[in-house]
Amino acid sequence: MTAQLRIDTQTSLNLRIHTLWRALFALLMAASIFMVWSGSAETSLWQKVLLSLVAGLAAMYSVYGALQIEKRHHAGRMATLVLDYLGFVACFVFVLNAGEFFIGIDALGENFSRGIPYLGITALGYFLGMLEEYFPNKKTTAETSLKTVSRWVMLGGFVLFLWQVNTLNGVTFFLGKLVQQPSALAAVASMAIFAVSLWSMNRPTVAQALNVKTGHEQIINGWLFLSPNLLGFLIFFAGPLLLSFYFSFTDSDAIRTPNWVGFDNYAKILNIKFVTLDSPDQLARDVVDIKVYDEVGRFTFGNTGILFAAADKFFWLALRNTLTFVLFAVPLSVIPALILSNILNSKLPGMKFYRAVYFMPSIAAVVGISLVWQWLYNATIGYINYFITLGIEFWNNLFNVAVVDPKIQWVSDENTALFAIIIIAAWQTMGFNTVLFLAGLQNIPGELYEAATVDGAGAWDKFWGITLPMLAPTTFYVVSTTTIQAMQVFEQVFILMNPPEGPNNSTITLVLYLYRSGFQNFQQGYASAIAWVLFIVIFGLTLIQFQRQRRSSIYEG
Amino acid sequence: MNKNLLVKILTLLVIASFVLAACGAPATEAPAEEAVTEEAAEEVATEEVVAEETGEEVEIRWRTRPDNQEEIDVYSQISTELDGELDGITLTYEPGGSEGANYQDQLRAEIAAGTAPDVFWIPGTDVADFATRGLILNAADLAAATEGYTAADFYEGPMFHLTYNPETGASGDGSGAVWGLPRDVSTFALYLNLDLIAEAGAADPRELAANGEWDWEAFLEVSQATRALGSDIYGYGASAWWGPYGVWLNASGGGFFTEDRAACALNTEESLAGLDFQRSLYQDFDVAVPYGEDPEPAFRAGKVAMFQNGRWATPGVRTVDFNWDVVELPAGPNGTPGNWLFWGAYVINANTEHPEEAWALVQALTTAQTQGKISALGANIPSRVSQEALDAFLTFTPPANNQAFLNGIAPAAAPTAEGPLWAGSWPEFDKIMGPAIQGVLTGSTSVDDFGATICDEANKAFNQ
Repeated sequence: MTAQLRIDTQTSLNLRIHTLWRALFALLMAASIFMVWSGSAETSLWQKVLLSLVAGLAAMYSVYGALQIEKRHHAGRMATLVLDYLGFVACFVFVLNAGEFFIGIDALGENFSRGIPYLGITALGYFLGMLEEYFPNKKTTAETSLKTVSRWVMLGGFVLFLWQVNTLNGVTFFLGKLVQQPSALAAVASMAIFAVSLWSMNRPTVAQALNVKTGHEQIINGWLFLSPNLLGFLIFFAGPLLLSFYFSFTDSDAIRTPNWVGFDNYAKILNIKFVTLDSPDQLARDVVDIKVYDEVGRFTFGNTGILFAAADKFFWLALRNTLTFVLFAVPLSVIPALILSNILNSKLPGMKFYRAVYFMPSIAAVVGISLVWQWLYNATIGYINYFITLGIEFWNNLFNVAVVDPKIQWVSDENTALFAIIIIAAWQTMGFNTVLFLAGLQNIPGELYEAATVDGAGAWDKFWGITLPMLAPTTFYVVSTTTIQAMQVFEQVFILMNPPEGPNNSTITLVLYLYRSGFQNFQQGYASAIAWVLFIVIFGLTLIQFQRQRRSSIYEG
Repeated sequence: MNKNLLVKILTLLVIASFVLAACGAPATEAPAEEAVTEEAAEEVATEEVVAEETGEEVEIRWRTRPDNQEEIDVYSQISTELDGELDGITLTYEPGGSEGANYQDQLRAEIAAGTAPDVFWIPGTDVADFATRGLILNAADLAAATEGYTAADFYEGPMFHLTYNPETGASGDGSGAVWGLPRDVSTFALYLNLDLIAEAGAADPRELAANGEWDWEAFLEVSQATRALGSDIYGYGASAWWGPYGVWLNASGGGFFTEDRAACALNTEESLAGLDFQRSLYQDFDVAVPYGEDPEPAFRAGKVAMFQNGRWATPGVRTVDFNWDVVELPAGPNGTPGNWLFWGAYVINANTEHPEEAWALVQALTTAQTQGKISALGANIPSRVSQEALDAFLTFTPPANNQAFLNGIAPAAAPTAEGPLWAGSWPEFDKIMGPAIQGVLTGSTSVDDFGATICDEANKAFNQ
């Protein structure tokens, strides 16, 4: 009873300290908001808003946590664990940054790789120590000497490893950097405080006092395991996503403080005009304000026509090319994959080999593939044209005819350039789609085919009546993902074409255009707007596919 | 010791080492350290020890765009040597990616992230963009305080742009602007497959040039004669970018911009005449490797008689197994070949913490001695106007006719200096011009249609 009372007193004191800590934390967060707005004028608006939002939420949650701790409610523990964990991680990252860890990748690559062989010595020592288990009749002295040798080998290997990875130099540099920065030292101190708080709150007596149940503990553990991925998602995906949305309303060039321009970027993208022409060859400058608009294209019929002009013609050309690419590349990488998967699904000998062969393009690097295709497509010395020429010569000699060699300029003719890219993309994607279809095919119950055979159905009837409907979910997935992938076509165009826009802009695509705008022309704000328009287009297309899938799904209802 | 505990401790130590390994300086100084002689290495080591003792060393990172491993090795060696020569400066050379690996894109991203080197190379066309955005340092004060410095030591064309003051419009010494110093210069020549030309029975372009008979007409005759050798043999080949097509416009008296470089001049009569002649090479006479196809593999395979390229192509061409040489570009209607004076410059990061040391490095990198070592590779021409440097360049053979390159940059040839657009955006201009000209050269757009609309679009690149 006395012991219980003493524990309660300690726990009570702990909880009181936690309440105070939560209140102090909330105050610090509130103060940081004040500092953000009264501090450096160089901090841009978006940074101030973001920091204030984060600090404000943290302050409120901390106050809530303090109140819940006072009520002896488990939510107080949850608030403490979450806030202190995030605080610890944030301080840790800050300390690493202050020590210039993130810009030391070159040093890391060089130093650490030099030490890896010596880790092998340590591992060798470890396995040497394990050998004792394989000597059932061992003598004590032999065992002792083996253990001793093992320890010394491990120790020696590890010391060598530390020496090789330049640890001493690293420690000196790292600590030197930290000492020079008061904020880094504050972060180290904060890390210690967060760690102590986490340790204290995680003690069983504290958990008991806050009425923590097994379910609550499981939830916390679940979030803890999820946190690396979740934090990575928030910082490296969701964060930049939202940031790009903000940038799309600015004139950001990625270097100077961006200015808010409202919908200007979107207005420029969507500023288009259709004008009737008096004659098919009437110049654009005669019918539109040429200082604003450029001709994207014209539709002529008879003695008249319609001019399509846009403030940013490159966006519309890119959209046209991207949609054309999707229109051809998706069927060409889905339909052959469907046929191929049906062939590969048979039990003929060697099918496993062919499955691997067709999958290989999917795992090969796009850059390498594009360079190989660049050689193949070369109009003067490329193999494709070489074999076409051989084939035509053979045909002409065989039948004594005079078929003209087309000498196709695969990548330098605006009529074929995009098609050349489509061929590569379809060839590369087909293997992966085939594997997906194969998985779908193997899930179709064999009884259906047996019943159909009994009913006298032929191969085509079975394919049309059983295979296709049963593959509908797989087909939907394949078509959706291939469409999304095709809308984002970039690498093949960027590597294969020179210049990437191709002859007369015939291969400029949306992602290529946004890359050029953002990373080559210093127009990050405008590039962000293009990215969001692309997102809307992809989202729209996917939504349509979802709706069609719902209507035709065999699993509906 | 408990095994689990031991494993945990070891794991933690390895992770800690992982972090600390990133914080430590690289164990080796430069990728091409093996290339340095033992003596040089000892000297460097001695210098480092001295520097550490005095505690005055300043670390300067620098980068340039090499075209191949040999250049990386030479630049690394130069960095090591300069490291020993420059008191109080420790140099770290970071080889940039090749053009295909997007040197400029990577550099821009690093500038945005604040991790770009103290000194870096950029092409001449980028200087205005970088200067007006405040990304590179105006070293005018540093230059003024430097004994013996004068812009006249370098070729006039590059220095006009590198000393251009956008606020006053002045250029040259005393303009109040020095954005950097040119690393090297280059120009176009025609790489000749002498075997093909001899087989076709065509006149030797080198002799025609020596006799002053090397003009567009003569060029066309040689092209047609060699093209007649077979359907897979071409008389002429050039890559698809602004340099190759620009010379035809320049040679007929036209050009990309008006004289003040403040507006588009692609639609002038002279520019269109030059473009039309080039179009005829592709479309009417069918003597050229189709525009947009890479002509270099075809040339190296012995299927192109005349391949237009810069000095930078020389190391690659040296590996071919046929007789070859170079000749200057043919003279156009205005009497000059309309060649370019290509250049790129070493500039100083505006955010460098050590501008004086960075300026010292820029100067050291552009001395005649340093440039001579790089030129010995054969890929470029020294940017200093120095007879000594030019005489040395002539010895870097093959090609035997190195004089063709020097003729290309000689004042008599009136080369147009590659340059930035201070009154507009070069990337925007190029984005509009390139595809439109490609449309003409591939036959999908007529020269008249091109002339009627191009400047309406291209003028939007100015004052952006």
